[in-house]
Amino acid sequence: MSDDLELTDLAERPAPTDGHGPTRTKVPMPIATLSDPHLGDAAKKPERTEALIALVLVVAIVMMIGFGIAYVENWNPWALGGTIGAGLLLLGFGLTAWGKYLMPQGPFVEERHLLASSPDERTAMSAALVERSAVVVKRRKVLGGLFALGASIFGIVALFPLIRSLGPLPGNSLDVTNWRKGTLLVDSNGRSVNKGTLVVGGIMTVYPEGRENTDYGQSVDQTVLIRVQDTDLVTAEHRETWAPAGYVAYSKLCTHLGCPVGLYEQQLELLVCPCHQSMFNVRNGAIPQFGPAPRPLPQLALYFDDNGDLRAQAPYDQAVGPGFYERNTTQVDGT
Amino acid sequence: MAVAALGTLALVFPGASAQASTTAKASAVSSSVKACGSVNLKGVTATARNSGNPFKSSELICFDGMLIRYGNNAITYTNPPASFATAGKLLFDQTCASCHGSEANGVTPSGAASIGPNLQGVGSATIDFWITTGRMPATDIAAIEAERKPPRLTNKEALEVAAYINSLDPAVPAVPTVNMRRANVSVGANLFQLNCAACHTITGAGDALAFGTNAPSLQNREVTAQQVAEAMRIGPANMPRFSGNLSDSQVRDVVAYVTRYVQHPANPGGAGLGGVGPVAEGFIALLIGVGGLALICFWIGERS
Repeated sequence: MSDDLELTDLAERPAPTDGHGPTRTKVPMPIATLSDPHLGDAAKKPERTEALIALVLVVAIVMMIGFGIAYVENWNPWALGGTIGAGLLLLGFGLTAWGKYLMPQGPFVEERHLLASSPDERTAMSAALVERSAVVVKRRKVLGGLFALGASIFGIVALFPLIRSLGPLPGNSLDVTNWRKGTLLVDSNGRSVNKGTLVVGGIMTVYPEGRENTDYGQSVDQTVLIRVQDTDLVTAEHRETWAPAGYVAYSKLCTHLGCPVGLYEQQLELLVCPCHQSMFNVRNGAIPQFGPAPRPLPQLALYFDDNGDLRAQAPYDQAVGPGFYERNTTQVDGT
Repeated sequence: MAVAALGTLALVFPGASAQASTTAKASAVSSSVKACGSVNLKGVTATARNSGNPFKSSELICFDGMLIRYGNNAITYTNPPASFATAGKLLFDQTCASCHGSEANGVTPSGAASIGPNLQGVGSATIDFWITTGRMPATDIAAIEAERKPPRLTNKEALEVAAYINSLDPAVPAVPTVNMRRANVSVGANLFQLNCAACHTITGAGDALAFGTNAPSLQNREVTAQQVAEAMRIGPANMPRFSGNLSDSQVRDVVAYVTRYVQHPANPGGAGLGGVGPVAEGFIALLIGVGGLALICFWIGERS
């Protein structure tokens, strides 16, 4: 194969000019020969390199065919990704190796004509510019006006989302949930909770009745219900009746950034937030024990109705979830 | 066993009609209690049917004043036979008594509190879970948690110890057998996300909790269906106890999801990387992906 490489002809290439006209002259340029100093060692004795690259390309072809089979036969993702990945990688490897090892390598210097125009040309150009701008550009006042109008309208329209993002005011929507006086606690299947539902150490997530399958119910209203002990639990002053039979309920939204506080460690009696490891003691009103949470979790006051089902005594006494500027800052004394 | 002794068994089926009113419920329970001897129900106060309370189960078999089997077509809870108790006492004295007290009551003969807790009245499922997962006997009594390890006792020996401890104060839950034939993995996945994923993570890989404790991996294929059901019903260590809020069929669905999907994830995207989360995945992508590309670029641009 290498015998074919001989110094045979002259290449046609643009000759250096002064920038005028398409003058081309044939100048001699040596192309790659086996004595070319730009050829690497591998290219001077190319049989082995060529064979290797050919092998790589053949394997790449096999991989590509394999990918086709894997796709048609619906093989697993490993086969699909492996075959097309290896195929593309080997194709690229073969091409790059071909260029790197069998082709002449630089650095090459290409001569180039003078870039600057002649003084005459430059004078003529500036004269033309002055003349044309006077005649041609200034005549396009209507087009220019239309462009300016379009740009201004775009600027005004762009203000709309900005202005819209400023309202409407949230009102008290951040302060209230769907928990009301007498709201029945239900699980995700809509079943109510009675005294026997949880044993000591048990936990479940509850929602206001009728809201268990709504986005708002599952995001804002969600509440963890934990049975801490068999008897009534007093978590803080003025909360004597809030946790009957040891059932205590806290908002599931972390007061830090609103993650669901779903990890309950029954021996440590801690609720842990999975996002930033805030820990809340369920026995004393969910006061943060550790982590970035700034406030205790709001507690929901509970009672057993005449059927023995748990209901809320009242709405949450404060906003649930993370803080916001207008938040009413009254909070449980957590110090 | 139940079939062989069918003639002499006291069979009690508190059927649907017995559940119709509160009074009927109360009478069904009291008659069952008589037939089943005294059973410590501390472990299940559930009032819903088929939630692990033997007296609210579709099936209840007692014999000679002892609770033998209860449950339904989703989970059958079986107590190890009383004949196991003799061998169990021997094993208990050899393996457990040094920490839990010779009477398994958490008290040393001198009256002081023993190292380990009182085991009386915890139910045979609790004993079976701690022994078959290898967590008991513990290797390091000062450790904050007894880690899972290859079990020291065989499954049968675990049942023998359970039979002995259960004979001291008969209690529930008994050892569950999960019948997954009609399990709904999709329902199990939803329940897993709501109840389990907070600690065990959404892929079941497990994660660290507070104060050096951790939620163990459920991807570990040594975790059996029985152990998952036991853990949910007994709430070992820091795990909450899932009793009345999950019915037996819901527990079965979660168990099916764990053993069929969590332990055999489909990973349609290729390598699952242990399902430990975006940080590890991003690290691998940066190191191998971008690093590999950089190496290739270096090779392409390098002068030969």
